[in-house]
Amino acid sequence: MIKTLSISNSKLWRNRLKFDFWSLLIVLLLMCFLPLLDLSDYTLGILIVAMYLAIVAMSWNLLAGYCGQFSMAPAAFAMIGGYIVGLSDFHAQLSLWISVPLAIVGTAILGALLGLTVTRLKGPYLSLTTLSFAEISRVIISNSHEYTRGDQGLNVPSMMNDRLSYYYFFIVLVLLTGVFIYWLMRSKLGGFLLAIRDDQEGAESKGIDIVFYKLVAFTISCSLCGFAGAMYGSFSQLVSPEMGLLQQTGLVISMVVIGGIGSLTGPVIGAILVYLGSEWLREIGNIQMIVFAFVVIIFARFFRTGIWGFCLGLKQRLLQNHHE
Amino acid sequence: MNNLLSIQNLSKSFGGNQAVDAVSFSIQEGSIMGLIGPNGSGKTTVLNMLSGILQADSGSIKLENRSLNGLKPSKLAKLGIMRMFQMTRVFNRISAFDNLLISGQALGLSFNDSVAKADQLMQELQLEHVKFLDAGELSGGQKKLLEFGMCFMRSPKLALLDEPFAAVHPKMRETMVNFIIEKNKIGHTFLIVSHDMPIVQQLCQECICMSTGKVIASGNTKSVLSSPEVIEAYLGDDHV
Repeated sequence: MIKTLSISNSKLWRNRLKFDFWSLLIVLLLMCFLPLLDLSDYTLGILIVAMYLAIVAMSWNLLAGYCGQFSMAPAAFAMIGGYIVGLSDFHAQLSLWISVPLAIVGTAILGALLGLTVTRLKGPYLSLTTLSFAEISRVIISNSHEYTRGDQGLNVPSMMNDRLSYYYFFIVLVLLTGVFIYWLMRSKLGGFLLAIRDDQEGAESKGIDIVFYKLVAFTISCSLCGFAGAMYGSFSQLVSPEMGLLQQTGLVISMVVIGGIGSLTGPVIGAILVYLGSEWLREIGNIQMIVFAFVVIIFARFFRTGIWGFCLGLKQRLLQNHHE
Repeated sequence: MNNLLSIQNLSKSFGGNQAVDAVSFSIQEGSIMGLIGPNGSGKTTVLNMLSGILQADSGSIKLENRSLNGLKPSKLAKLGIMRMFQMTRVFNRISAFDNLLISGQALGLSFNDSVAKADQLMQELQLEHVKFLDAGELSGGQKKLLEFGMCFMRSPKLALLDEPFAAVHPKMRETMVNFIIEKNKIGHTFLIVSHDMPIVQQLCQECICMSTGKVIASGNTKSVLSSPEVIEAYLGDDHV
């Protein structure tokens, strides 16, 4: 009886996560109905890119929001994933059925190798090392004309013929990423990541091998970014060094902060709103970055839990009022 | 009783400062040992070395004749050496109950066993009314009790408690003392660092006093507390 009572409370991590997961399902379900509004191919394209960024944001959130490791290389790993697919086609004419798994495994191995160095670092040192890695890999790709065609980019074969199919395909990809992260965070690994986020020394003294679990989180996060990049390459039929620009990482971070760091649904909401906003502000050029930086500062100062946290707080208040 | 932990000539220096200087002592299985001394005497550094947070410059640490030198804190926790910190180290953004579940699973318990054990500890530590609050919302004393529970999710061979009673409400202190007494009755071993002499006298059969990195007195708690060297270390030579 006690056991049943203890694990049924909504404040337990497992139950918070379950609520978060159901909310993600609802958001994705709502997105399934958007094409009924007779959206143009252009708008569908924007939403597809937003969902690509949502997967990168969810992957970064796994590392930063759940494990407290602030990597500055999510866009770089997406670019590398895209390039593995592009290079496989350009040099070996491999089909996507082979090159996409190669991108997942390749970025996982690269992520693990980088992780072996950075998981022993803390705070700004981890961020600076990953930032350096991101810039170095982008510059290498950009300057290796012989193999990568430099800034011209590489063509990637397409998987589908029309944007609507891609739209639903990306909804499924976001869903699969969500299910995977939900499953991961529901397991004991998820609990260990939360413990590491909250207090590394405390976690280690309670029996958690922090270097190993940070490495696991780092590898999975990089691999998911690589997967997203590979899929985006297939949609846009082009991968270029621009995918790995630091600006892209900034965009991903602002999506997570605005949507709600440390949640499943927040990064998806953030990705859609921020990317739609960025398209809306496209006319004002680079000033849009100032607008986003300003919005991130406002959120970081006044709404640290982002839109998702704000919604949870609202739900809490409504429930309280209902009980009173 | 058998020796559970043996420490021989343990030393640690930070730059030119010799924080711990050739410290040797042993802890018997099923005992409660006190480690006292004025601030800066090296008590916490000894605990840091015993729990793997710091590596000793020289000397040996053995648990049941197995060398512990060079092992990581997580490995030591799995071997049964659990550490409670002076500044509590709980996981602030998840519920108190989740803190216990995670600690249980980190020590190898299944999810269901962790739930059962966490429920039992919440009752024993009188934290039931706050078990679904985030640990960050608990009072200082409640956090200490919670960390206590995290250390006992799987019976430790040796619990290292650093200032467990400091800045804790008397009622909670009583809960902690009773918890230690009950656990000791069933064979648990404790090493307690504390400045609270009445509690040290009440709980610890044996005691070690350190000053400027060295052991200046050890043995029966009453005799250690009345030794002139200990009084001098705490109060200065005017009081000897």
